[in-house]
Amino acid sequence: MTDDDSVRRRLHPATLVSRWLRIIPQMLAAGIAAGAGMAKQGFGGILLFAAIAGLAGIAIALLVWWRFTYTIGANEIVIEKGVLSRQRRVIPFDRVQDIAIEQRLLARLFGTAKVKIETGGSAADEGTLDMIALADAGQLRDIIRRGKTPAAAAGGEAAESEAPELVLFEMGFGRLLYSGLFNFSLVFLAAIVAVLQYLEQLGLADWEELVTVEQAGEAAGLVGVQTTLVLILLVLLLGMVAGVARTVARDFGFRLTRSGASHDEGMASSPRGLRRRRGLFTLSEVVIPLRRTQAALIESGPVARQLGWYRLSFQTLGADRKDGGVQLAAPFARIEELLPILAEAGFPAPPPRAAFHGVPRRALVARTLPWLALSLVAAIVAIAVAPPAGIGAAILLALALGSVLRWRKHAYLVGDQALFVSRGFLTRRLWIIPHERTQVIIASRGPVQRGLGLATLLVDTAGASPMRAPEIVDLDGRDAEALADRLLDLFRHARAVIRLQSRPISSPTP
Amino acid sequence: MQTDESSGEAEVPGGALRPLHPNQIWVLRVRTLIFILVLLGAALAADAGPLRESELAAGLVPGLVALLGLAATIALPRRRYRAWGYREDEEEIHIRHGLVVRIRTIVPFGRVQHIDLAQGPLERPFGLFTLILHTAGTRGSSVRLPGLAQGEAEAMRDRIRARIRQDLV
Repeated sequence: MTDDDSVRRRLHPATLVSRWLRIIPQMLAAGIAAGAGMAKQGFGGILLFAAIAGLAGIAIALLVWWRFTYTIGANEIVIEKGVLSRQRRVIPFDRVQDIAIEQRLLARLFGTAKVKIETGGSAADEGTLDMIALADAGQLRDIIRRGKTPAAAAGGEAAESEAPELVLFEMGFGRLLYSGLFNFSLVFLAAIVAVLQYLEQLGLADWEELVTVEQAGEAAGLVGVQTTLVLILLVLLLGMVAGVARTVARDFGFRLTRSGASHDEGMASSPRGLRRRRGLFTLSEVVIPLRRTQAALIESGPVARQLGWYRLSFQTLGADRKDGGVQLAAPFARIEELLPILAEAGFPAPPPRAAFHGVPRRALVARTLPWLALSLVAAIVAIAVAPPAGIGAAILLALALGSVLRWRKHAYLVGDQALFVSRGFLTRRLWIIPHERTQVIIASRGPVQRGLGLATLLVDTAGASPMRAPEIVDLDGRDAEALADRLLDLFRHARAVIRLQSRPISSPTP
Repeated sequence: MQTDESSGEAEVPGGALRPLHPNQIWVLRVRTLIFILVLLGAALAADAGPLRESELAAGLVPGLVALLGLAATIALPRRRYRAWGYREDEEEIHIRHGLVVRIRTIVPFGRVQHIDLAQGPLERPFGLFTLILHTAGTRGSSVRLPGLAQGEAEAMRDRIRARIRQDLV
């Protein structure tokens, strides 16, 4: 590649600083440990080892940085890296699912950013540029989204001039704080335990010495009911504060806008997308190309739902599987606020609840009866033999009750444009799966389901979560078969419409 | 493609499903037999070792395993074979399989990312192939159709490939 456009570029030199900050302390520690390990050397020896290790760290980071280059070509970005074994990765622009720009605190000081290019492939680290100048990052994103280099796009007028973007969703500070209350988190408890364990490993603290069994018993005796209540309240309060703090750090300045030209539908204009910005310390910016969204998901927890708050995400191929494979579009919003976002993304609005179909009552036999039976057995055991089994009976009874409640909330609806599936009792999820996004249709019947004439139907989509799938569980068996065929018809129809629409533009086939 | 009305197959409307190649029963038999033999080996080892001290009569456990295994090898493969069926339509393929959990899968050809033809060591002596359709889905990311004769498997692969190309235009 010897085009004038395709110049090999390196990451921003500030990358070195951030990597040194990370690697040098580790290397120093390793050097000190190695020096101390050799008993003969004195203090000077340890210092020498530490210095060598530190210098090695500097050199390695420098070498890694030097050997990492990227080239922006006409239709693809080429990343070359590796000190000993070289790797050359070509990412065609039209394979890019979404692009994330992230600025950690240090990066903000340097005016740099980390760019993550997701292609939906299986590799976790597909195309990460950590870090390049912020301006370059923005430019790179525009180039990729438009699918052309600036030179190629220069034919059109200055399309990259930041047209005022339509704001689809924004969160003020008041609502941000309020939403934090619903993100109650006891993570800090785990953190405290982790720190104590770490101290113990280092030999700085010892559980056994700190609290002996007698002391614990004594303490338990001293602590009255009031103190216990105060303690519980304190923990709850801390959990709330932790939740608010986490939410503020993550969602500060949350803004969802529409990017990409919508008025001039020329071919050179970048395809439409949703741009999400958020973060207090770490700023992040993600663009979700709308033609890549596979499904929409509206979720809400039990308390938030009572107060009318929901969160909206879009399933994309590039989204992190850790986050359930979805990109968050609005973390805490009213339904009325979500509808314009859905409309912008080309998703139909969810119909009223009453229009949905439930699953047959006999599904309860499959889901509830086993728990009830086990609960009964446990209760008998509790009465006849061992009273502690009563706890088990209560838990099993709660599970039975939970399955009834879940059954009541499980519903689906086949719309003209999409399939709607609602699941979950505590956290309720509503999936909107456009018919044209169907990948595979799977109907399954387990032995119990067959006995009851039931079936489970799943419309599989690209990037769907393997754990939380929008299955319709325990449909009537015949309904499931009919529904599978209907969904297939709707899929065919939707694809045919898309083919017709795209034909005049792409290729004038007869 | 097939317009004949199904009578027995109420499961998949629009036409009867084709069975796999009869040799597939033998593949399944050999596979079951190997599994049983491994189990039998473990049972014999247990009988000679840890179970010797127990009150169980010597040879009881391996005997039971052998008996049940024989029954399974005779009865199961045919039923598992019958659970399989497929129909290649104009735009998609329908596959039914599973003895305990019965699964019907519909894969539109337009969704197939790439196609594999695989032949395992047990399939080779019987001249059978497995067609694997890869999609971008999660649970349906690779859909397998075993028990195809070579000619049929290759013809199917070529037909599906042609349709994928059509869909891209």
